[in-house]
Amino acid sequence: MLGAKILLVDDEVVFTENMSKLLSSRGYRVATANSGDEAIRNLERENFDVVVLDLKMPGMDGLTTLKEIKKLDLFTETLILTGHGSIDSALDAIKLGAYDYLTKPCEIDELVAKIEGAWGKKDEEVKKDIQEKIQKVVESPSSVFDVFPREKK
Amino acid sequence: MNNSSPANSNQYKNGNGTAREGYYRRLFRRFILLTLLCSLIPLLLVGWGINNYYTRFARNRMMLSFHTKVENHRKIIELFLKNRVSGLQVIAKTHPKEYLVNVSNLAHVFDILNSEYRSITDLGVIDERGRHLAYIGPYNLMDKNYSKAFWFKEVMKEGVYISDMFMGFRKVPHFIVAVTRSENGRKWILRATIDTESFRSLVENVRIGKTGEVYLLNRSGIYQTSPRFSGKIMEKASQPLGKPCEGIEVRMEDKSTNHAGPPHPRQLIAFGWLKQPQWMLVVRQDYSEAFNDVNHANLAALVFLVLSACAILIVAVFITSHMIKIIKKRDLEADGLNKQLMQAGKLASVGELSAGVAHEINNPLAIILTERQILMDLAKQSPLLPRDFMDQFNNSMSQIDMQIQRCKRITENLLRFSRRTKSVIEPVDLNEFLCEVINLMEREARSGGIKFLTDLEEGLQTVLSDPSQLQQVFLNIITNAIDAHEGKPYGSIRIRTRNDSAKAGVSITFEDTGCGISPKNLERIFDPFFTTKQVGRGTGLGLSICYSTVKRLGGDITVESELGKGTQFTLFFPYNPPADLQKDIEDVHTF
Ligand SMILES: Nc1ncnc2c1ncn2[C@@H]1O[C@H](COP(=O)(O)OP(=O)(O)OP(=O)(O)O)[C@@H](O)[C@H]1O
Ligand SMILES: [Mg+2]
Repeated sequence: MLGAKILLVDDEVVFTENMSKLLSSRGYRVATANSGDEAIRNLERENFDVVVLDLKMPGMDGLTTLKEIKKLDLFTETLILTGHGSIDSALDAIKLGAYDYLTKPCEIDELVAKIEGAWGKKDEEVKKDIQEKIQKVVESPSSVFDVFPREKK
Repeated sequence: MNNSSPANSNQYKNGNGTAREGYYRRLFRRFILLTLLCSLIPLLLVGWGINNYYTRFARNRMMLSFHTKVENHRKIIELFLKNRVSGLQVIAKTHPKEYLVNVSNLAHVFDILNSEYRSITDLGVIDERGRHLAYIGPYNLMDKNYSKAFWFKEVMKEGVYISDMFMGFRKVPHFIVAVTRSENGRKWILRATIDTESFRSLVENVRIGKTGEVYLLNRSGIYQTSPRFSGKIMEKASQPLGKPCEGIEVRMEDKSTNHAGPPHPRQLIAFGWLKQPQWMLVVRQDYSEAFNDVNHANLAALVFLVLSACAILIVAVFITSHMIKIIKKRDLEADGLNKQLMQAGKLASVGELSAGVAHEINNPLAIILTERQILMDLAKQSPLLPRDFMDQFNNSMSQIDMQIQRCKRITENLLRFSRRTKSVIEPVDLNEFLCEVINLMEREARSGGIKFLTDLEEGLQTVLSDPSQLQQVFLNIITNAIDAHEGKPYGSIRIRTRNDSAKAGVSITFEDTGCGISPKNLERIFDPFFTTKQVGRGTGLGLSICYSTVKRLGGDITVESELGKGTQFTLFFPYNPPADLQKDIEDVHTF
């Protein structure tokens, strides 16, 4: 079975490269982005199960990026990476709908566990959504094109 | 015990302290001097003024009274003499010479006069040529001729004559009074000798104090009455005489020892001249006695002045030392405040700096960690690596991990300063909470031979506070206490809680039996990065975090310590957190 599809967003290239190596070797499909804009572009192009997002970045920072991601209205969960000092913004991020946060530097196992959690949640959301839609179609079959306007949501 | 806290530490340990003491002493002296000047000078001025005024007033009064004394006595004497003169005049005017020449008639008149005046020794009738026509009295003076006598000429000229005192034939001081009458163009004289006894008693019996005397002098300065002290009747007075005049003179006579007569001290003297005869009435008294009252009053005023000066001095000293005490207290408070501000400032700047540093360090740390992980993954996939390489590799890897964890701890601690985490405020039962913290630390403490002793007040009020921050504080303090026992086989940490209803809060003391803190270090233990521990063992942030946390929670932390005996931290937490924390509570609820 294929691992989750992950988008790593951090301005430190070395960090994203290393992480991508580590996660790939653990069976995940990893893409990297080194700024908020790049991340959004990636997301618009492709589907990801989990986005790992650093809060402190030059240019568009983590929180803004998160808001942009939420605007895209995708089935994707966001995991926040933060320096210890910005726990407040991490909490803010959770208020904005992030799945959870991790403080840097973090052990790979910790990260993996959180990613698994986020992925599971994403799957559930998707399932719930489909069930709701089927329910709607069952209730009123004529709305089938409203509910499934395109192939992807 | 040496008491210290950031708010109240021993500021007066060094030269600064003695300089301050000197300053207070100078201030004290200056205050006293000023107070004394401001109160004593007016007092002295007023005292001197009143005294001066009063002395002059009293002196004038005294002089006036001498003036009136002379005036009154002069009147009395003049009245006495006038009486005698008019007595004789009435006799002369009402009786013709022929009648009086008859000795029995003259004796009759003499008796009448004497019954009236009781002071006439003899009586005589003398013709214009100075011959005695008739005489009644104790002596035989019939063949005396007075035509050459001074008084005869005088009375013939003036009509009335009163003589000075003289001894006469009788060897008794006496004086005569003579009047003339013209009958058929021929003058004759009625002459009486006045017994001086009654006259003298008139003057001599006047008593003025102990040193006062009254006497009469004639024009040539002979005593006409015996003064009390200065001499005898008929003696020559040493006193210089002026010209006879109308008025009365009062003056001060300085101490005299040079001229004749008994020496006398400074005296007040008053005198006035009688008209007929020209005698001078003198009243004199020792100055010291006359002004006794004034002197008394002055003495009393002086005593009063000295007493009030003393009272002012005492009050000034008392008030000033009280004031200095208040100033000292204010200064101490201000010092404490400054210290606190400095501490807060230090913490703030450390906070800003550390937040940046921590962030910057966390990123490389994260990368190092990932690199390590990559290497470890690689090693796992290559089972053919030599064994000793693998041993060294694993060793290095775990060392890298340990060092990274250490860095992380440091940055975490650093970040606590700047952390503006919203406090999660809830009611905390500090007794229960402390027991939990003790449970956490029990094992570590036991391995160091340290026992926890608790003295928790029953019915301790709950405080509204942030448990996670409280825990941080308690853990830091207990960890320090355990560390302080290093090298000691056993020890104890006594934890005490008390309601402090006066300050509306709970006080907690942590008393350990550790190594104690030297007074020099005591001033610095709350400073960030101050540590006495080995490199790598302590960051020196524990207590400064405690300090800023406790302050944030609206509490207070103080410390007392004695080197070698132990240390006692006293923490205070208010029942209700400060207003800005309260706001956070609302935030948390809406969250
Ligand atoms: N209970 C105590 N008894 C004796 N000394 C103490 C005690 N508490 C603190 N100290 C002294 O105060 C210093 C500062 O303490 P602080 O907790 O701030 O830093 P630390 O314990 O050295 O390091 P850290 O707590 O960051 O690991 C300590 O190094 C120690 O010398
Ligand atoms: Mg400590």
